[in-house]
Order: sequence, then C-alpha cells, then structure tokens
Amino acid sequence: MTNDVILRVEDLQTHFFTRTGVVKAVDGISFELGRGETLGIVGESGSGKSMTAWSILGMVPHPGRIVGGTIDYLGENLLEKSRGEMREIRGSGICMVMQDPLTSLNPVFTVGDQLVETLKLEYEEPKRSLRRRAAELLANVRIPAPEDRLTNFPHQMSGGMRQRVVGAISIARAPNLLIADEPTTSLDATIQLQYLRLLKDIQEQTGAAIIFITHDFGIVARMCDRVAVMYAGRIVEQSDVEDMFDHPAHPYTEALLQSVPDLDTDVDTLPSIEGQPPSLDALPAGCSFAPRCPHAWERCQEYPDEFTVAPRHTSRCWRSE
Amino acid sequence: MAAVASPTAAEGVNGDGALVRLEGIRRHFPVYRGNLLRRRTGTVKAVDGISINIMPGQTYSLVGESGCGKTTTSRMLLMADEPTDGSIYFDSRPMAQFSGAERRNFRASVQAVFQDPWSSLNPRMRVDQIISEPLITHQRLSRSAVRSQVQELLQVVGLHPFHAERYPHEFSGGQRQRIAIARALSTRPKLIVLDEPVSALDVSIRAQILNLLKELQSSYELSYLLIAHNLATVRYMSHTVGVMYLGKIVEEAPPIELFTDPQHPYTKALISASLPAHPRQQREEIVLTGEVPSPLNPPGGCAFHPRCPFVMERCSTDLPVMREHQPGHATACHLYD
Repeated sequence: MTNDVILRVEDLQTHFFTRTGVVKAVDGISFELGRGETLGIVGESGSGKSMTAWSILGMVPHPGRIVGGTIDYLGENLLEKSRGEMREIRGSGICMVMQDPLTSLNPVFTVGDQLVETLKLEYEEPKRSLRRRAAELLANVRIPAPEDRLTNFPHQMSGGMRQRVVGAISIARAPNLLIADEPTTSLDATIQLQYLRLLKDIQEQTGAAIIFITHDFGIVARMCDRVAVMYAGRIVEQSDVEDMFDHPAHPYTEALLQSVPDLDTDVDTLPSIEGQPPSLDALPAGCSFAPRCPHAWERCQEYPDEFTVAPRHTSRCWRSE
Repeated sequence: MAAVASPTAAEGVNGDGALVRLEGIRRHFPVYRGNLLRRRTGTVKAVDGISINIMPGQTYSLVGESGCGKTTTSRMLLMADEPTDGSIYFDSRPMAQFSGAERRNFRASVQAVFQDPWSSLNPRMRVDQIISEPLITHQRLSRSAVRSQVQELLQVVGLHPFHAERYPHEFSGGQRQRIAIARALSTRPKLIVLDEPVSALDVSIRAQILNLLKELQSSYELSYLLIAHNLATVRYMSHTVGVMYLGKIVEEAPPIELFTDPQHPYTKALISASLPAHPRQQREEIVLTGEVPSPLNPPGGCAFHPRCPFVMERCSTDLPVMREHQPGHATACHLYD
C-alpha cells in the first residue's frame, strides 16, 4: 500500500509576506495521494486550496514562500529541488490541466505544433515520428481524423475539441499526477460534463492520480475518491468521499453540504451559514470557523487538534475529541 | 365570477393577471460584412419568438446554455434593448404604447441585480450614494427622507445603517450583493431581473442570499425573472421554469414537474449533466453530440435536431410548436405530438 503513495504532503506552510504582515495562505496541511486516486480539495475563495496546488507545482507567486513542511513526490522532497528540476517535473510528472480551453492554447500555432513542442521534451526523435505520436494522442482523447486535425489552428476547432486538445497536451508526457484547478466562472453544464468525462477517460488510460481544486461538492461527488475540506488555510476535515457525505464531522462541512440546494428534493428554506468567510490577515484566535459555528464553546479559543473520527476520516473540531 | 379564478387557471393562454407578458418576442441582430461596401450578410436570431408570463409575486426562471438568448430577453425587459418583433405587456398595457410617464414608471418598477457585485457597483461611490441614486432619479424626496430610506433598505437586506458611509471595496462578495439588492429595491419595483445572482459568490454565502431574495419576495410581493445555470438553484427559487435553446423556449413547467418529469430531450440532457448531490447518486448521462449550433445559421425544423438522441425524419423540416400536455407543462417537441 505504502508503495502506491505518489504524493505525500506533510505540514505544508505557504505564507505571504506583505507590507502589513504575514498571511498564512496555507498553514500546516497534510495529505496523501495514491496512484490512480482522485482527491478533491474543497474550499471557498481564500481558503488556500489554489495555493496548495501552486505549492505542489513549485509556482508560488511573489511575495509568497513555502516556509515549512515537505512535499514528497515518489520518494523525493520537491521542496529541495532546483528550479530546473522542478520545471522538468512539472512537464513530465505533475501536470496542470486548465479547464478553459479558449485561453490555454496558443492561437497562432497549429494544434500539431503545440503537441510536438511538448513531445520534443520527452522524445529525441525526428519530427515525423513526433507528429505520429501527436496524432496518436489526439486519437486517445477521441478526436476523429487526428492526422487532419494536426494542421488545424485552435480557432478552427469547436470548444469541445479544444478541450480535448488541452487534455492531449497534458497527458503527452505520461504524468503521474494531474492537478485540475477550476476557474471561478462556471462552464455550461453540458460542457462541464464533457470536461469531467474527458478527465476520467484520461485517468483510465494513464492511471494518473488527480487533484481537483474546487468549491463545488457536486464535482467531488461525481469524481473523487477522497476529499479534503479547507477553511482559512487548513484542512478541517478529510475522509473518503462517501463517508464525508454520509457523516460529515466538522460543523463547516456539515453546514456547507446542507446549504447547497439539491436538484432532487424540495426545501422551503435552505439552512445557511451565517457570517462571512474570514479574512486571512485577521484570523480569530483558536478555531477560525468558531465565529460562524453554531456549536462554538470556550474550548474553541484554542485551535483544535486533528482527531480521527473513523478509519481514514479526520476532523479538526473539539467536538470530535 | 372572474374574481374567484385561481391565478394558475387565469394564467392560461392569454396571460390574464400576469405582471409582465412577453408575446412572440423576437430580437434579431443584423450581421454586416465589409467597411466600404457594407452589406448585410445574415441575421443572428438571438431571441426568436418567445412568449412568457411573469405572475405577480412569483419567480420565472430561464435556463439554458450560454448564447441561448436568456440575457437578451432580460435586456428587453429592462428596456435596454427593443424587440424586433412581438410585444411586451406590463400590467396588461403594451410597452410600445407607453406614454412618457408610463415609461418612467416602468423603469422604476423593473430593476436588476447582476452576477458580479465587484463590477456592478461603482467603486467611487459610497454605499448610500449607490442605493439612493435610483431613488433620487425616480422620486422627489427631501434629503432626510432619502437618508431614512437608505437606512431602512440597508436593514431590510441585512446590513447595518453605519455601512452607508463605506465604499464597496470594504465589503465581501455576499455583502456587496446585498448592497446591489438594496439598490434594486429602492424604487419599490414590482419585478427584479436576477441575472446569475449567486454564481459569483462563495458557496457558504449563496444560501444566505437566496434566502434573502425569497424573504423579500414574500414580504413585498416581488416578481423575479431569474437567469441561472445551476438547476438546483432554479428549483429552489422558481414557480415556473422556461428552458431555452437557440432563442426559443422548448419546455415550460413548474420546477417540480420539470425536474421530475422532463419531456424535451434537451431538458433531459441538461438535467443529466447537472452534478449529483451525493456520490452514490447516479444520473443517467445523456451525452449530447456536437455543440450548440451558431445562431447565425440555425438548423431548420427543430433547432435541436442535429444533437437530439431521439431525432426523427420530420424534425429537420417541421418546426415543433409549444403544446401543453399537462396543465402548466408545455413542450415543443415532435415526440409528444
């Protein structure tokens, strides 16, 4: 089992050093990801979910810095890698998949050129055989007549096709881990479904693990095996996906799951979470959810430890002590 | 006798009792080529003959994918655009015949709340200025009356009177949307157009805003035209839902009806594409082939036929019309003829 872990993040801390003080965007999070597993990192804006992804990719923007912890990828600590080594890993081992195909392809190069550009990094072969590989990749993501499509520019393809091309580029170098960060603006439902199916498809073909960075529990329900809920820079609850939906242990998860309207049931009034998400530069002492929590008590003045509430299920709430 | 008729029965075909009635609304945009020798090369039929009734105190929702004409429809209701064809009735008066005073009254009676409260509020105006701007435009009020109304509105939407002197950047997304709602309420509207009111907000805030909108609807008998792509939100908020595809309404029903017994293949596909609420929940996934066709050159017959899994021969030639199969549930599809 332990051999199958491809990514182990331990006590990761990514802080931003601003003029007004230190913002702890990611404040000591730990999780593991097995080969072929799909993890959903759920959180609201400012919860640190995207910064977790950028930290893994070694692309934390200025003035942020990873100040502590380890990111163990296939037995090697990514935080000890040089920039060049990270660059290499980003292309071949860990790969970001963009959800929006319109902005992630270069409009002035053909699809074939863009695929070959990526393949060149992996294979030292003449251009002709690289183009053959490129066509194979397009066929893998179910693009009909792949040879003809290589000469197309992105604008000559439909949105769905472009999405597939982006998918093909991301698997060109057989990555072990795909990170899918969703943009805040949502796609149309049918396009989103196509994208999710494409990722499942890619996962089945390559056996890659996927991390979904999302705010949508629907995506988690549809796609993930494990889920980690982030709030104000920390993982407040982590478990297998069904267990989380059946027995949410943290009040934040519980409230969040209840506050999302469901297409298949009728309610008169949705239970809502009062208050606003906290601002990271003015976090309350103790549990950061306490000001919005219906169960808060004196104990919450102190930040809760991580408690195991069930096998493979942890929660950072004193109620679970 | 007529007075006892229930609102649903009165809704009927002619839309008696509707606050707003759209009848055969079309909005076609001409497309030109060339600068020197400009010539008209086509027409985009953004909205192509839709008829809907918005009842007092109720929510009518439009769902459909981008480019189906939802927003164009709402722009015509807001008088930001004029229909190419068809009429809009407000309180049974056709908009085309409005006098100047009626137009002003209409503009005060129909307000809007938009998706993104970061761009819909002027960053250089204080909250009290933002909220009172429509008040000052539409009513002659003394300064103290304006101030007291602003205070009242802030409380109605769940903010504090002291927020009046702050600027939009000092608020979070949910609070900004509350400000936008207070502004919309300031003219005592009868109808508010809600264009994706919560999709830009954090998940934990969305329920707050939806509940606020529902509360306001029942306290002030407001009608809403809701545009949203999240079907669960639509189910929670609406009294009637219209499904749009390429400028036409293809199915219309009350939400429970529509989501438990969808008839049009496009509605079925939309529902099947919405995400589950639980990992064990399985939906039959209807994957549509192809893309939404360009409204510049829509397919003949039923516009959905090239992507429809149940396509028949006549679908490419005959245009299906809306037919009511059960009371209040109408579909435009040859499968149900």
